[in-house]
Amino acid sequence: MAGGGERSRPTAFGGGVPGVPGNRGPNIRGAVNHRQPEVYSLGDGLAARVRYAVARRAVTDNPPGKAPPMLRTPRPLLLLATGLFLACGAPTDDEGSIRVALLTSGPVSDAGWYAGAYEGLQRIEQELGATVSHQQTATPAEFDEAFLAYASAGYDLVFAHGNEYQDAAIRAGEQFPELTIVVSGGGRIAENVAPLIFRLEEGSYLAGMAAAAMTRSGIIGMVGGVAIPPARGTFRAFEAGARSVRPDVEVLEVFTGDWNDVAAAKEAAVAQLSRGADVLIHNLDAASFAVFQAVREARAEGRTVWALGMNSNQNDVAPDVILGSAVIRIADAFVETARMWQNGEVGGAAIYASTRQEVIDFVFNPAALDEVPPELVERVAEARVLIREGSLDVPRVPFIEGEAGVQ
Amino acid sequence: MTAAELDFFLQASVRLGIPLALAALGETISERSGVINIGLEGSIIAGALGGALGALAFDSAAVGVLGGAAAGLAIAAVFAVFAIGVGADQIITGTAVTIGGLGITGAVYQARFGATGTELSLPTLGAVGIPGLERIPVVGSALFDQAPTAYLAYLLAPALWYWLQKTPAGLELRAVGESPDAAKAAGVRVLRVRFLATLFGGALAGVAGAHLALAHAGTFAENMSAGKGFIAISVVVLGRWNPVLVLFAALFFGAASALQFFLQALGLDLPYQIFLALPYLLTLAALAGWVGRARAPAALALPWESE
Repeated sequence: MAGGGERSRPTAFGGGVPGVPGNRGPNIRGAVNHRQPEVYSLGDGLAARVRYAVARRAVTDNPPGKAPPMLRTPRPLLLLATGLFLACGAPTDDEGSIRVALLTSGPVSDAGWYAGAYEGLQRIEQELGATVSHQQTATPAEFDEAFLAYASAGYDLVFAHGNEYQDAAIRAGEQFPELTIVVSGGGRIAENVAPLIFRLEEGSYLAGMAAAAMTRSGIIGMVGGVAIPPARGTFRAFEAGARSVRPDVEVLEVFTGDWNDVAAAKEAAVAQLSRGADVLIHNLDAASFAVFQAVREARAEGRTVWALGMNSNQNDVAPDVILGSAVIRIADAFVETARMWQNGEVGGAAIYASTRQEVIDFVFNPAALDEVPPELVERVAEARVLIREGSLDVPRVPFIEGEAGVQ
Repeated sequence: MTAAELDFFLQASVRLGIPLALAALGETISERSGVINIGLEGSIIAGALGGALGALAFDSAAVGVLGGAAAGLAIAAVFAVFAIGVGADQIITGTAVTIGGLGITGAVYQARFGATGTELSLPTLGAVGIPGLERIPVVGSALFDQAPTAYLAYLLAPALWYWLQKTPAGLELRAVGESPDAAKAAGVRVLRVRFLATLFGGALAGVAGAHLALAHAGTFAENMSAGKGFIAISVVVLGRWNPVLVLFAALFFGAASALQFFLQALGLDLPYQIFLALPYLLTLAALAGWVGRARAPAALALPWESE
């Protein structure tokens, strides 16, 4: 677990990424590529990991199902008042605190991709004393409006949580030089626009290893939302991880075309279960609940089947059916990025977050550990170390134009 | 395709088609009265949340369905007040109601279950086989081993057709949708008929939402209606505003979505969007008059004020 080798060098900003301002990346969300030289990374070796560990405990101490503290803006009231998704927070007049905003294009109640971002925003509020605000924006026209609203309200830093924001972010970056925008999974770079790239493939690869070791039928399944390259990338890595354990494993793949359509996800999962799959992974937002439900129903019929969580630690979401989760510690990455911003280190280059910073991980569900062979836990831990060292190659999608990788 | 696979495909088609059928049957009635309720999506998502909350509160899926109907009706009432009472543009009002419905359900869900979401495990509306009918070869188990809400759709389709075509009240409703002025001259209370038709449509959309949450998914997620309200409006067109044909059209839409999962699970690398697009192409064909004669009610979407 060598931490020293990944020391960040803030002064080296912008050196490691071939993207130039205005560079148009592929239209993808959350994609990653490890072949890029890692010129700077989140956190600073051991110290950062300690911070992460402390911070992570703070998150896990929040029991699931309990409402985390609300943002300063009472969102439900505003939603009711406007009848729209827009919940723009009114910043205080406190000149000392930084103002940080989050944009999502889906509901933050997905206990996954968007929920992690929302937790990150809350932690930025608590740990950095920032004034924070969140808006859910559905259409590209709303993206532009949201950036305009935050820029004119004097916000400093906007997290645009998804690749769909990248073009609007570049436009807003040109228009509002005082604003810094971090685009999760973005592919375009400017002076004040930085992609935050999560290498979820690494966690997904480890999940594939676990799936292949646990399957009895030799068939495992993947249920995706929209077949965008990052989603395909996590599935390619899952497949590769599975084959590294069991070369003859059969891998089924279904995309429903919608991240939140629970009925579609349920049918897709049931279709795979009926074809004999007994371990299912998803890459969905709120519709992931339906995959867990399908697995739960198959268990009620007496089958031994498992689900795998994705995007956030979902082990507590459905502890009775989840084997483990391919995790992005989005909240950690957001807090760290906000700290970097305070040091003037965000902009002009992509920020990579992977297993090296402990942002990406695979976490077995403690409630399922009784049924998991200890050798498997060990084997996954070993592979994790190899991935961190860079000596185990995980399939990835190219993220910023010119990067190598698989589609 | 083996017998088991065919069976599975047909079951999935019916499961996916039933919520569309329920919502589309309600929409058929409101459209026949001259009201196009684009806010159907809002009623469906409200019905899903109302169904989930009702089922949790009383630990009963049956109560959940009632809760869903009430929530769907409440959303439709908002639409009706503006679109029928005030005479506002139906399309704009319906769009606002849909967006508002998605927003309000999200806010209520987050306030109740936490901002970052919880997977709810709800009391489910289990499948109930109908003795005898479920043994019909090929389609028996797909059609007659379903949740009770599916049987509601089967019974409503012919019942609504009979009501529309053979009863005086049905005739009045059709008259209101074709020529409200003439209906008024004949002594029909136009606005009252339209209000009731829209509320009925909203309640059925709410049942459709409750079916999604309780009979199908077993959970609630924000935005889980995923456009089904708009699909249901297409289903009404494909079914040519005839309740019986609407039921078949909904099952056809369900089969088209089931086909994409089925083919993908088989490992066929076909663009799944083709199968999703197929029913819409047929809907366009129906609108163009290529699939039989399809004519919308003459006064559809036209606000009417009594003078």
